[in-house]
Amino acid sequence: MLPELAVTGMGVVSSIGKGKAAFESALLKGDSCFGVMQRPGRQRDSAYIGAEMCEMHPIPGVARQTMRAASLSAQAALLVLDEAWNEAQLSEVDPCRIGLVVGGSNIQQRELERIHEEYRDRAEFLRPTYALSFMDSDLCGFCTANFAIRGLAYTVGGASASGQLAIIQAAQAVLMNQVDVCIALGALMDLSHWECCGFRSIGAMGSDRYANEPKLACRPFDKNHDGFIYGESCGAVVIESLESSRRRGLSPYATLRGWGIAMDGNRNPNPSLNGEIQAIQGALATSRSSPAEIDYVNPHGTGSVVGDETELMALRACKVTDAYLNATKSLIGHGLTAAGTVEAIATLLQMRAGRLHPTRNMEDPIDSSLNWVGGKAIDHQVENALTLSMGFGGINTALLWQRCN
Amino acid sequence: MTQAEVLNLIAQRTREILPGLDAHQFVASDRLVELGANSVDRVEIAMLVQESLNLSISRIELFGPKNIGELADLFLEKLCVA
Repeated sequence: MLPELAVTGMGVVSSIGKGKAAFESALLKGDSCFGVMQRPGRQRDSAYIGAEMCEMHPIPGVARQTMRAASLSAQAALLVLDEAWNEAQLSEVDPCRIGLVVGGSNIQQRELERIHEEYRDRAEFLRPTYALSFMDSDLCGFCTANFAIRGLAYTVGGASASGQLAIIQAAQAVLMNQVDVCIALGALMDLSHWECCGFRSIGAMGSDRYANEPKLACRPFDKNHDGFIYGESCGAVVIESLESSRRRGLSPYATLRGWGIAMDGNRNPNPSLNGEIQAIQGALATSRSSPAEIDYVNPHGTGSVVGDETELMALRACKVTDAYLNATKSLIGHGLTAAGTVEAIATLLQMRAGRLHPTRNMEDPIDSSLNWVGGKAIDHQVENALTLSMGFGGINTALLWQRCN
Repeated sequence: MTQAEVLNLIAQRTREILPGLDAHQFVASDRLVELGANSVDRVEIAMLVQESLNLSISRIELFGPKNIGELADLFLEKLCVA
């Protein structure tokens, strides 16, 4: 078994709440705010449905000029990092022993599209900072310039599994003693109308059948699902050894007991039953857990017809059938690169609250034999939780979390 | 255009990059570096002013001016040529 790793700080922003307290309260109430997206650059003769965040300014401790220069993805990163940093009291840790892993690649597409449009016919006036801002690793620059992180900072990409991949990489950095504390950040993937169009064309994003009722469009695991609905979000979790958290007098949310990563050898977007089984079994094996010990699953559950079905088949094949399930994406949409981190945060908040959030729009589940949390939150003390992510390009990841006693 | 108008434009664009200077009274002898503009901020400010004036000046010429008054003069000179 791996040495015990604990989560000692978290920060989150989403369409239903800025900060953990607001996010948790909205989750448990089953809030959502889906509609036709309004952010500049999101539509072109289109009416894509999604869930957008509210204004993020200001962030205490981050200068106004920094926020002005930062892209939406970078602003969200600074916001969640600030929250996680303070909670985990990272100012008391040697900066050289703190690391940051940002999950996500090609995350700032809408910002790039807007800049390209603005300077299309006058390239000579292109803002010089474009040379910095077009790179995803600009987020590492913003974060380390504003917070004392001097150990390591880099990005990892795994499409919609990026957020979990960042957690796994951060955990490995601590296990390998590269740093004592490592922050995993699931970056906000800022889609432009081009990516929405592509996702729609390939059949991944939900159709316009709910154009007149946007609140009904996002329906993971419901028989009337027909694709994912995008939602802006970003989250950060602070990972360190349980021993270090105790030495620093912190009370961790949970321990990260194990994980699995599996490639299914498929460049296409379709899911793989074998790949998902391998990831789940990897998480069970590294944590030496039995399937029956898992009492809560936070599934990938995007609302994709074949994706939702494959995921439930994988859980059944791994005998994870007694656990409660809900779908965080039914409330906040699919954060793509952010999803794995934000859903881990949702899991840990529910674990601490002893309550599981509702699943919206689950009127007719594709498999009613499972223990769904439907329209209303329920009380449940989670002992062991499994969280899952899958990404285009054949990546499957699973994380196994245990309550801290 | 007068030097005062160009200076005003430089001040306006500088405040966009450095919001902390909202209340600063800009004068010709102000040096951007002393106002807290780093090298990237300075090149951004120069580019924003060029964009406002629809001028394109080589990076080498922009190294010359020692304060925003001299920078305004350089822009004025280019405006006259254009």
